[in-house]
Amino acid sequence: MCSACGFPAAPGHWTEAGAATPHGRLRERFRRVQVLQKALKGTGVTAHDGGMIPSIQVMSLSGAQIIVPDLEALWGEVEKLCGRALDPLEL
Amino acid sequence: MTDPVEGRLRLTILGGFLGSGKTTWLRHQLHQKAFGAVYVIVNEAANAPVDDALLGAADNITLLAGACVCCDGQQDLQRALLKLCNDRTGVLGSSSRLENIVLETSGLADPAAILSLIQAHPILIRQIVVVEIVVIVDAQGALGQLQQEALSRKQIEAADRLILTKTDIAAPQDIAALRATLRSLAPGATQLAASFGNALDLANSLPDTPPASLPPLSDLDAVPIHASQLDLGDKPDWTAFTVWLSALLYARGDQIVRVKGVVGTPAGRLLLQSVRRSVQAPEILPKADTPVDTDNTVAVIGHGFTKDQLVASLAKFSA
Repeated sequence: MCSACGFPAAPGHWTEAGAATPHGRLRERFRRVQVLQKALKGTGVTAHDGGMIPSIQVMSLSGAQIIVPDLEALWGEVEKLCGRALDPLEL
Repeated sequence: MTDPVEGRLRLTILGGFLGSGKTTWLRHQLHQKAFGAVYVIVNEAANAPVDDALLGAADNITLLAGACVCCDGQQDLQRALLKLCNDRTGVLGSSSRLENIVLETSGLADPAAILSLIQAHPILIRQIVVVEIVVIVDAQGALGQLQQEALSRKQIEAADRLILTKTDIAAPQDIAALRATLRSLAPGATQLAASFGNALDLANSLPDTPPASLPPLSDLDAVPIHASQLDLGDKPDWTAFTVWLSALLYARGDQIVRVKGVVGTPAGRLLLQSVRRSVQAPEILPKADTPVDTDNTVAVIGHGFTKDQLVASLAKFSA
């Protein structure tokens, strides 16, 4: 259990299976947030991942902020904050 | 690093519509030891079980009767699987340890729902990997069922392997039409035939028979399903790809029936597969001595999008 976010240590979401070493995993997380920031451009929602806690922070323009454990949960929050799901085919 | 797949129980889900011949097929496979040492879980929606009597040859069998495990009987299935996982912990050495389970679903079960159940369970997901979904298709009755039953279509869509039974009593032109229809519903699944469990030859090339037109049973069925192959290049960007795919499945999970492919990553060759919204924890495949042609291509099967749309959209995420 991570004391910052309260999520139990999960076996790893399927999206996080691509790295085999701890530093590889950290690199993937920085890459992930980089890709996310670009994808979320124009939605008013931003994503942050400082690498310290095993989760992604999502913020809206109004200041609403939430911590999500993985990408699946992230898209759910983005839908809540924007009012509709982000459809990659319409970006 | 320990391999996260190593040690997980391998589960095969056997599905198919009522009376398609699931038990008959399974009985023969057990007799032939096709699954090796295996534990069988049989589910029957009815309260008067006959399947376990037919499967008397299996050493280890659990019967879940009275409710379908993809909906009402979910708790029973969870309990049965947890018990197997529990009994297995502490047994060292793979020779004496249970490695394979076959789950024969009831004829009313949607295999995808069972997959989601395992995905969503915090313990089962670490203990069990679903290796294959086998769906038995009754060559004589399937076209009629596909016309009327949305469930029958769902079962076909979820399949990795389709086994046609009763091909000896069905008319050749019906079989051809059925196979074309199955191809249109499940473009990625292999089609085989069997009679009482014995494998039969099925012509490899499909004769020029158009698939039967299936009346839409809901808005989602109105559009035909097609498969798009996405080429991820020699060095795929796993992170960008998964950010993209997770967003795509979240937004359009009801249109994307299946995603399947092998992607090379620093962690190894990952076998990625999903049925509708549920994605399996990727399985790490053994290293290949020579590059495999089909690696780094992912098939996306569904409707409501074109391959060009997918390619353009993925490129925006990977840039």
